[in-house]
Amino acid sequence: MRVEISYKFIIGFLIVVVSGVVVNLVIPYSAVPVEFQQTLAIACALVIGLIFGVAFSKAFTANIRRLTSAGSRISRGDLSEDIVLKKSSFPDETSDLAIAMNEIQESLRALVGDFRSIAFKVASSAQNLSGTSQEVSASSLQVARTVDQISKGAETQAEMVEESNRLFREVAMSINLVASSAKKVAVSAHQTVETANSGSALAGESLGSIRQVLAEVESSGQQMVNFVAQLQNISKFVEVINSIAQKTNLLALNATIEAARAGEYGRGFNVVAEEIRKLADSTTISADEITRLVVTIREEGQQVQSSMAQVIEEMESGREAVDRTNQAFTAITQNAVGTRTKANSIAELAEQQIASAERITRAIDEIDKVVSENAAATEQVSAATQEQSASMEELAQSAKDLSKMSEAMLQIVKQFKLIKQNKTDL
Amino acid sequence: MTLTLLFNLGDAIYGLEIDAVQEIIENPVLYQVPRAKGVLRGAINFHGQVLAVIDLPDLLGIACVQRDHRRVVLSPAFKSLVLTVGNILRIVEIDLSELQPPPAHSSERAIRGLASLDETSVNLLDTDAIFKQLEDIYAE
Repeated sequence: MRVEISYKFIIGFLIVVVSGVVVNLVIPYSAVPVEFQQTLAIACALVIGLIFGVAFSKAFTANIRRLTSAGSRISRGDLSEDIVLKKSSFPDETSDLAIAMNEIQESLRALVGDFRSIAFKVASSAQNLSGTSQEVSASSLQVARTVDQISKGAETQAEMVEESNRLFREVAMSINLVASSAKKVAVSAHQTVETANSGSALAGESLGSIRQVLAEVESSGQQMVNFVAQLQNISKFVEVINSIAQKTNLLALNATIEAARAGEYGRGFNVVAEEIRKLADSTTISADEITRLVVTIREEGQQVQSSMAQVIEEMESGREAVDRTNQAFTAITQNAVGTRTKANSIAELAEQQIASAERITRAIDEIDKVVSENAAATEQVSAATQEQSASMEELAQSAKDLSKMSEAMLQIVKQFKLIKQNKTDL
Repeated sequence: MTLTLLFNLGDAIYGLEIDAVQEIIENPVLYQVPRAKGVLRGAINFHGQVLAVIDLPDLLGIACVQRDHRRVVLSPAFKSLVLTVGNILRIVEIDLSELQPPPAHSSERAIRGLASLDETSVNLLDTDAIFKQLEDIYAE
């Protein structure tokens, strides 16, 4: 049964008053001398009042004290215990207060719990953020490095493009040279064709001349054979002359012998015979000379014949050489015609190549522009990356600050005790 | 002055007095004589007369490769013989009074003496000695 404190005070007061009255009424019927009855009655009334007062105030202050200590405990942040008052048959406002304070404590507990979980989440998020920002920072560093490399690559690319442009200009010049050389070659080949044609004609003429000379040499050889045959005849005649001379010589010798035998008469004849012998001798000498000359002439004729044979042989080989020369000229003509055709096609190709080279040069210029733009863009990217990196550092710093703040928040929250620990504080 | 027929026997020039020579004939038909030996080369028909042909170099023992196709027919006043010599040269006049005696050590007995003719010397043959030598050979 709920009794308000004010009523309890009234009831206590009434009980004290009633007990004083009761004592006053009872006492006259006791064996207590009359003179002490008043005093006893007062004393009884005082005792009763004191007992009630002490009991009541103790009961009352005990609850108040509990509440007070609970309040101070809560104010310290210890929310671990519920406020429990002594069981009373007559609960009063202190019980209500305890209930209300318990509700407050409950609300605080929930608040602190939420607060703590939020702080935990914030801390972990801050840590995540910090980690993420570090990762992002590392990534952006890597990006910066990569961009740097790209920038360097772009520079190298630009240099290479320049180099290839230069090289290509050289190639274009070379192609020009090739084209002009090919034109010259074509002209030379044309001249070669003309020269080879005239050479071929000359070789043909030479061949005709050689044939004519060969025919003449052959007829000369025939004449030489006839001549040698005539020499044979001369030799025969010389033999006849020789034998006549020998016979004359013999006749002269015998005539001399006959003349000697005739003695003085024969002396004149002896002179004649001697003259005849001398003539025969000189005839023999002349005949021998003729024979010798004929032999010499024959030998020379043979030499001439062998020389002619050699000449014929050489002229044959000369004719073959001229034939080969003619064939060579024909081959040269064919080759030169082929060379001219090829040189012309080379020249045409070179012209086409020049056109292609110009297009390629333009393309390289375009590439150069693109590469320059790339380099500029890369520089911009680099700058952006640096800015990003700075932002990321700021972000990381913020994340750290946030983490610190959440740490501090947790520290604060930790001051609240939510669960009862192994020992009881109260 | 005596007319002398000159001919070669080997390297040296020999002479034969023309009185001993009948005629010089050319390429006579040579008949082989049966059982002929030594210096006898055969026989020829000279105007119906058979004459023996004697090889003079062999007879005189003179080394001589060459043989003239002409033969020397000796005068019948001396001996009816035909001589084969090296090479018949010509007929010259030799002064017999200026004849030099042959060298003492000469083995050629048939040489009468040495006559000089145009820087060369001629061995003048002794016909009698030749015949003597021939007779000596065939007497054996």
